[in-house]
Amino acid sequence: MEKQKYERPLIKKLESGMPNKFGTRTGYQPTTHIENVPVKDLIKKYDSPLFVISEKQIRNNVRKAKQAFETRYPKVQFAWSYKTNYLDAVCRTFHQEGSWAEVVSGFEFSKALNNGVNGSKIIFNGPGKSDKDLKMAIENNALIHIDHLEEFYSIRQITEKLNKKAKVAIRVNMDTGIYPMWDRFGFNYENGQAWDVLNKIIRTDSMELVGLHTHIGTFMLAASAYSAAAYKLADLAVSIRKKYNHEIKYIDMGGGFSSKNTLKGAYLPGQDVNPSIDEFAEAITSALINSNFEKGHLPILILETGRALIDDTSYLLGTVLSNKRLSDGRRSTILDAGVNILFTSFWYDHKITPAQPFTQYTEDTVLYGPLCMNIDVVRNNVNLPLLNKGEHVVIHNVGAYNMTQWMQFITLRPRIVMIDEKEQVSLLRERETLSNFLEMESVPEHLKTFDL
Amino acid sequence: MMKRFSNQRFKNLCDSFFNSYAQVFFSKNRVFALILFLISFFDIYAGISGFIAVMVANGTAWFMGINRQKIVSGAYGFNALLVGLGFGIYFQPGLAFYILLVFIALLSLFITFAFEGVLGKYGLPYLSLPFLFGIWTVLIATKSYSGLNLSERGVYQLNDLYSFGGIAMVKLYEWFEALPVPEALRIYFKSLSAIFFQYQMFAGILIALGLLFYSRIAFLLTLIGFFAAYYFYLFIGADISELSYSYIGFNYILTAIAVGGFFIIPSRRSFLWVLLVTPLVAITMTSMSYLFSFYQLSVYSLPFNIIVLMFLYALKFREKNFNKLTPVILQEFSPERNVYRYKNYLQRFGSMPLIAIKLPFWGEWKITQSFNGKYTHKGDWKYACDFEIVDEDGKAFSGNGTIPEDYYCFNKPVTAPANGEVVEIDNSVIDNAIGDMNMEKNWGNTLVIKHAEKLYSQLSHLKQGSIKVQPGDSVQPGDLLAYCGNSGRSPQPHLHFQLQATPHIGSKTIQFPISSYIVNDAGVYYFKTADNPVQDKIVSNVLIEENLKKAFHFIPGESITFIDEKQNRIQWEIKTDIYNNTFFECRETGAIAWFKTIGEVFYFTAYKGASDTLLYYFFLSSFKVITAFYKNLTIDDELPLDLFPNKILLLLQDFIIPFYRFLFGKYSLRYIKEQDSKKGECLSLTSEVKFGVFNKSKTVYHFKIDICNGQISSFEMSSNNKLIKAKRI
Repeated sequence: MEKQKYERPLIKKLESGMPNKFGTRTGYQPTTHIENVPVKDLIKKYDSPLFVISEKQIRNNVRKAKQAFETRYPKVQFAWSYKTNYLDAVCRTFHQEGSWAEVVSGFEFSKALNNGVNGSKIIFNGPGKSDKDLKMAIENNALIHIDHLEEFYSIRQITEKLNKKAKVAIRVNMDTGIYPMWDRFGFNYENGQAWDVLNKIIRTDSMELVGLHTHIGTFMLAASAYSAAAYKLADLAVSIRKKYNHEIKYIDMGGGFSSKNTLKGAYLPGQDVNPSIDEFAEAITSALINSNFEKGHLPILILETGRALIDDTSYLLGTVLSNKRLSDGRRSTILDAGVNILFTSFWYDHKITPAQPFTQYTEDTVLYGPLCMNIDVVRNNVNLPLLNKGEHVVIHNVGAYNMTQWMQFITLRPRIVMIDEKEQVSLLRERETLSNFLEMESVPEHLKTFDL
Repeated sequence: MMKRFSNQRFKNLCDSFFNSYAQVFFSKNRVFALILFLISFFDIYAGISGFIAVMVANGTAWFMGINRQKIVSGAYGFNALLVGLGFGIYFQPGLAFYILLVFIALLSLFITFAFEGVLGKYGLPYLSLPFLFGIWTVLIATKSYSGLNLSERGVYQLNDLYSFGGIAMVKLYEWFEALPVPEALRIYFKSLSAIFFQYQMFAGILIALGLLFYSRIAFLLTLIGFFAAYYFYLFIGADISELSYSYIGFNYILTAIAVGGFFIIPSRRSFLWVLLVTPLVAITMTSMSYLFSFYQLSVYSLPFNIIVLMFLYALKFREKNFNKLTPVILQEFSPERNVYRYKNYLQRFGSMPLIAIKLPFWGEWKITQSFNGKYTHKGDWKYACDFEIVDEDGKAFSGNGTIPEDYYCFNKPVTAPANGEVVEIDNSVIDNAIGDMNMEKNWGNTLVIKHAEKLYSQLSHLKQGSIKVQPGDSVQPGDLLAYCGNSGRSPQPHLHFQLQATPHIGSKTIQFPISSYIVNDAGVYYFKTADNPVQDKIVSNVLIEENLKKAFHFIPGESITFIDEKQNRIQWEIKTDIYNNTFFECRETGAIAWFKTIGEVFYFTAYKGASDTLLYYFFLSSFKVITAFYKNLTIDDELPLDLFPNKILLLLQDFIIPFYRFLFGKYSLRYIKEQDSKKGECLSLTSEVKFGVFNKSKTVYHFKIDICNGQISSFEMSSNNKLIKAKRI
């Protein structure tokens, strides 16, 4: 018989049979395995903390999303948003599933090229493209989504110098009835900025207008906003056709689809209330189909959704360092994974489950990270079983942005592994070491020695 | 310019002249024509007379402004030739003779037009009827012309030979006649020569050799036809001298070629029919000979004409079995080419419907019930398909599947399968709860579209109120029509699709293939054309790749120039003809390759010219190209055997093609995505052509075509000992 687990004593108000507003008591299940690989083994082999990505889940997500759109619209193309997660293995999984690349910097652009993506299948977005970046994009026949007029002038100059035609689209921002309205990127639809730049592009011989792009916001909780955006873009495309007899090839609806994470302050769990990919698909495709495009001339629909395809594929494994009681009597638990590697804990109440079996007793807990900084709070208030030092927790839905926005702050960044479809684990990124750091630093001669 | 023009004139003149000779044996073969031309001069005056008759007939037709192509093909010359030959044999030359000859040739031409007009309405050839009417008219008329003298040449054959070639010629003739050739074969050769109004073995042997050179099948048929008649005569106890004495054994020979291989695609059945119609020719011949003897006229080829025309006419009354004995539509003037190309055509396009029916949805759907399905596709409704959408695990729904909205296909767009007009809709049936069925309105919400006379498609179990079109609306393939629902006899959401001959909802179904679609078998893609959907397959419409489509969209007037490694420029021009055929013509070599595009597929259909030109290799390399990209997709096709490079093996195959095929020509194509960003959107096609015997490949060609930014940029061919690289400039 296995030794009984020790649990510290706990005094709690009895609430037998009384359902709270979220239902009856929290129905926690431990997450002992990820894709049938024991969490314990993963940590033993790769140390804690550790990011774990499920390849199978990525493929499932893409295929579901593709099916949702492709059965509703004749020509659909996904482009993987590099900034969401640009680990090469992750990007290549998406590329294997047919996704193009969507990048927002020269660095990401090079990364996509390095991954073997043909330049003509790279979408170059963002307000921060340098002339060097633009030159690379033009030389590689990329699809450049112009964000501001300065960029338009730069492209014109470079194309004339290179004597090469650039394939461009413009990013359009618009009022879709949501708050906040994202008007800092691209050209505004309502005030005529969009038309202004379109007129300029059409009259520039060295540019070919291939598409229209919008990206109305992030973590959108209303699919209907996409409907409004799609109508407006379609209207713009039809007007361009009327005015210049020019047919644009694609409409890029961007991304921003919400994942199943729960935003901080949300009343109900994201799992239950956030729109599904089908709802977004329905909103966008029906708007495009019902717009005024000529029969048989529907443009390709491009989607750059990142978060909704990757969030639930990844887990952060952490280990309990200590428990302590706060002055107000609340319990706090310190983990070895903090906001330095879990940037999204600023926005989400991540779902957190213990990695080992436990009893039914739970306690409201504050989860802290290991940093010596006040902001390092993973969860402000979470109902968790009684954890001991050395026990493990699994933080869910961490696939988006964490592995790109993580900080090397106070500690070094941990390893990332992927579990493939055959449930084999491979290392995607090695843990950072001191020597990685020293490599990049240099000390002036007069600072090299000192006596204390 | 002037020189080119006159060259073309000279070529036309030669073609029209020699084709008139070869056409007597349904051929356009130049070597055969030369042999026949030579044989016609075995009787020098007959030869001259024939020559003049052809020139007069063709020349007159030319100046009258008759269709040039037909004149060049010899269609107006061969009857005049036969009349001229006959006239020349029967009468002594002289001024009156030659003057009369000119008018006789003219008469033959007019009779030809008359028969062409009358028989043409029934889609029948005029064969040698103009000759018959011409020669009979002349023979009867000349009875009262005193200016003409009957020739005696035919009577004293040895004298003629002596005067022609001295004693050596006579010796040669006698030696030839004394050769130990079986009687039957002797008659066979003489019958062959009789077609050119000769009656000697030597000419017959030459013709037989010419025939063999022109067509193995035709040669084989002449033997079959002749010996069938021979043994029929023996069996029936008819007068064998009828065969051996007069000129008319050739009726069987010509009938055999016409029925067995020229007007009909050579096959087991066509050969059998040769055996069946031979006695008919024999009976007709005997009775006609009797009748004609009253007028002292020979029946010549009348029995052949009567029987062949009746046979071809009879075929037109068929209501089924069209593919069991197929008349030649596109006459290649070679039974071999006819049969190779026909068989190849059948393999490639045989089941291709005239109206392209596509799958009525977007994206990938699963066929949950196909033809003769186990649930409801039985009896009158057996040719129908049911479609649903399934996920990675094969499930048709997410959640627990208790409401229609859980099902992936519910509320998904249903699109038009082809051009047409909406003729009937029912839009008011309430969608069922899962598991429930509406047996009263079993088709549920339904849409019927008329695509052509007797071709309607029906889409059923649609969502209530979702139909966006009205009766009378015209629709194009891919137009959104309605949304998939769960109405009628539908326990769970699915789309029912059927084709039918009548416009009513729930009509009897007809079998009609889907013109093209993609099957996704666990990540492996297959491209199907004109195929019937198979149960449990995941299918979708073909998604065109613009880059490929542009590269294989050739516009008449366009010209494509390549430069090879030896810095030779090769220029192809895209042209069309009056029959709306599109083709490549090589400026340097004159080679021609015909192509067509059906839906998303580019096909090369035929090639004429030398078999070492760049165009020939391009023709082989792009025999069938689908203008879509699917990972690891392979396209296979069969090449017509007349392209087989080893001509000796092909010769053997020629003899037995109606019965057995041992040679093969196979084509396969794969697509590779290139990743050189600086070049732009690039793609390579690698194809392979294998010619071989039984299962062993003898000649293999490898091709690589690079396509960049919607244009073919370079082409490469490698074979055993050959490597050609050409770049587009």
